[in-house]
Amino acid sequence: MGLRTLGLLLVGSVSCQPREEGPPPARGAISYDQHIAAGERTPTGDTLANPSSGSAEAKAMGEKLFAAMNCEGCHGTGATGFAAPSLVDGRWRYGGADAALFHSVFYGRPRGMPAYGGLMDQDAIWQVITYLTSQPIPAVVPTQAWR
Amino acid sequence: MTQLSRLLRATTLIGWAAVADAQDDGQWTRPGKDLAATRYSGLTGITAANVARLRPVWTFSTGVLGGHEGQPLVVNHTMYVVTPYPNVLYAFDLAKEDYPLKWKYRPAVDPASTGIACCDAVNRGAVYADGKIVYNLLDGHTVAVDATSGKELGKVRVADLKRGETITMAPLVIGNRVIVGPSGGEFGIHGRVDALDLATGRIVWTGRNTGPDSSMLARTGTFKPFYARNAGPDQGQRSWPGDTWKRGGAPVWGWLSYDATLDLLYYGTGNPGPYNADQRVGDNKWTSSVLARRPRDGALVWAYQFTPHDNWDYDANAENILVDLAVGGAMRRVLVHFDKNGFAYTLDRATGEMLVAEPYVTVNWARRVDRATGRPVVDSTKLTGASRGRIERICPSLEGGKSPASPAAYSPKTRLFYLSTVNLCMNWQSTEAAYIPGTPYVGATIPYTPGPGGYLGAFIAWDAATGRKAWEIREKFPLWSGSLATAGDVVFYGTLDGWFKAADARTGKPLWKFKVGSGVVGAPITYTGADGRQYVAVYAGIGGDWALLSGDLVSNDPTDVRPPADFAPDLARYTSQGGMVWVFAR
Ligand code: HEC
Repeated sequence: MGLRTLGLLLVGSVSCQPREEGPPPARGAISYDQHIAAGERTPTGDTLANPSSGSAEAKAMGEKLFAAMNCEGCHGTGATGFAAPSLVDGRWRYGGADAALFHSVFYGRPRGMPAYGGLMDQDAIWQVITYLTSQPIPAVVPTQAWR
Repeated sequence: MTQLSRLLRATTLIGWAAVADAQDDGQWTRPGKDLAATRYSGLTGITAANVARLRPVWTFSTGVLGGHEGQPLVVNHTMYVVTPYPNVLYAFDLAKEDYPLKWKYRPAVDPASTGIACCDAVNRGAVYADGKIVYNLLDGHTVAVDATSGKELGKVRVADLKRGETITMAPLVIGNRVIVGPSGGEFGIHGRVDALDLATGRIVWTGRNTGPDSSMLARTGTFKPFYARNAGPDQGQRSWPGDTWKRGGAPVWGWLSYDATLDLLYYGTGNPGPYNADQRVGDNKWTSSVLARRPRDGALVWAYQFTPHDNWDYDANAENILVDLAVGGAMRRVLVHFDKNGFAYTLDRATGEMLVAEPYVTVNWARRVDRATGRPVVDSTKLTGASRGRIERICPSLEGGKSPASPAAYSPKTRLFYLSTVNLCMNWQSTEAAYIPGTPYVGATIPYTPGPGGYLGAFIAWDAATGRKAWEIREKFPLWSGSLATAGDVVFYGTLDGWFKAADARTGKPLWKFKVGSGVVGAPITYTGADGRQYVAVYAGIGGDWALLSGDLVSNDPTDVRPPADFAPDLARYTSQGGMVWVFAR
């Protein structure tokens, strides 16, 4: 019952948007190469950062949330990948910076990542991100060899 | 001579007449060949004596990487191929050299469906009826396409992604009814079948798999379960705590069959949700069951639950093959079903009486199935649930002794069933699951271990009258392909490491094999070509559960790199994803 209660408690209103919707940036504010390959870099003008980064408490809470919010059912036990991609291989479709991860969880992603923005408050989303980003990344991923 | 010109020459019209069974028109118009779902062809051009000369004559890349389950159709010298998501439908002209496309149909399918589908974005195929190709899209639509022109004739929404529903099954057309049902046993759906009018697409009736009699279309006087314990009102509601039946699963992702004489439609239902059995004390009817309905109005006529209060994700979506067999000295109209739970069942298909139930793989969750009550005698040390902690070594694993994804075949000549089996066991740890719409409603961690004997799969021949294995061919990896039986006394199957194989139907002697590039999770078919020759077709394209379990088979996504499955660590050494249609002839 513990985890279930936890999941339900988190269903609350979202107090503020992660990014202010200001006026559109002036032409040329973002260079074209940044636009097509933002990679791990936070887009210009965005300073979204994980407030619970490095907190052991947030990491422990995030681990519980990862199971309680059913992330595990799609991404696998330990987020190692199942029906949905691995979140602990150090590689990202949509970027591994704090802002990108927050976006992935809050707004969802088109190929089947649900939007959790209406289900988890911002603190909870940051906790689960703290859990994910504190997982060890396997040392040698590019080569798989057989004997 | 170049490889290419040799292949092209092989497709020219040589004009060998295949000696066809009088009843066999050389086509393949339904998923399981006939309404009885036998996957048996009366063609005799390819025999045990000449199958060694089989060679590929044509191939086509579908351009899609997901698991290629199911089978092509062949109608009027046209081959129809449905791909996994995005569910492209190809129509190949078999009357022309090179089999050029007549058309291809590319529907708009919501990409969100690929995240809601539990087990890869698979599709189990189409059905032909009345000049139409009818099949389902992963995002919950049934479409009808003109078989000649490829024009979309209709598209109806029959499942809701927001409630965790997708569709992967192949529909069946019975008269003017198209029968379809949703997947989503891992997402807390409320399972059902819908009957659509073939002409208009209108939903004529909906029969739920759980809940009160009114929604299950179980009517007094019509619903006659064989066993006394199943009588009484609202079985589908009373065998659940509170309203848990509303999100209790019972998906319909497998195969349908139909007996015209009895006028009964048969289909299996999937697992109850969540996996954590503590949250749904009771039998959880009618999950993990076979249901018999009247296609006209959907009325439930009988139901039989293979795994009451399923603790192990033993979906009963496997095909129900309809044959007449002498059982215990008397001819019976039976239904044969190889359940995920490891028992092979022979039921009286008019009444739902269990006649034979014997294990066809290693089974330890139950000792036997009681003949008097039709109920399994469960080993209580193998029961699961959050309160029971970690349960070690349950056999078979939830992949099933046989997966419903890999349908069996039956030969009336040998009176044997042919099927791909999986030799895996599992450890099970349940946890409390919270229902959040559109996310998994599971609550369990379930690692697999190899079953006993040092092999992970076997292709077996089964005598359903006595419940005995006739022969087996052991394989290194789990077997996940459908089966094909032919009047030439040759049976066909494929392996996960990408071999397509033929064996002697009577003895199980391996006769021929060919490496098709990617693991086989589809079901082979056979047909008569425009030149009169017998051809055999099969998909290559590993996927389904293997895309999840052996994540290192995936090579097209640099952002998702996974270690191999610990119980089959070298599968990716032999295969990777890739959808191909293969056609063979001798
Ligand atoms: C219904 C299945 C499902 C659930 C539940 C789910 N995810 Fe996802 N998730 C996906 C899929 C599928 C993708 C890939 C989406 C895409 O590529 O568009 C994804 C993508 C992501 C990404 C982006 C990965 C990348 O490589 O950029 C993150 C981060 C993520 N999910 C975190 C979570 C967290 C945290 C939870 C729970 C709060 C969760 N997911 C729950 C299916 C799911």
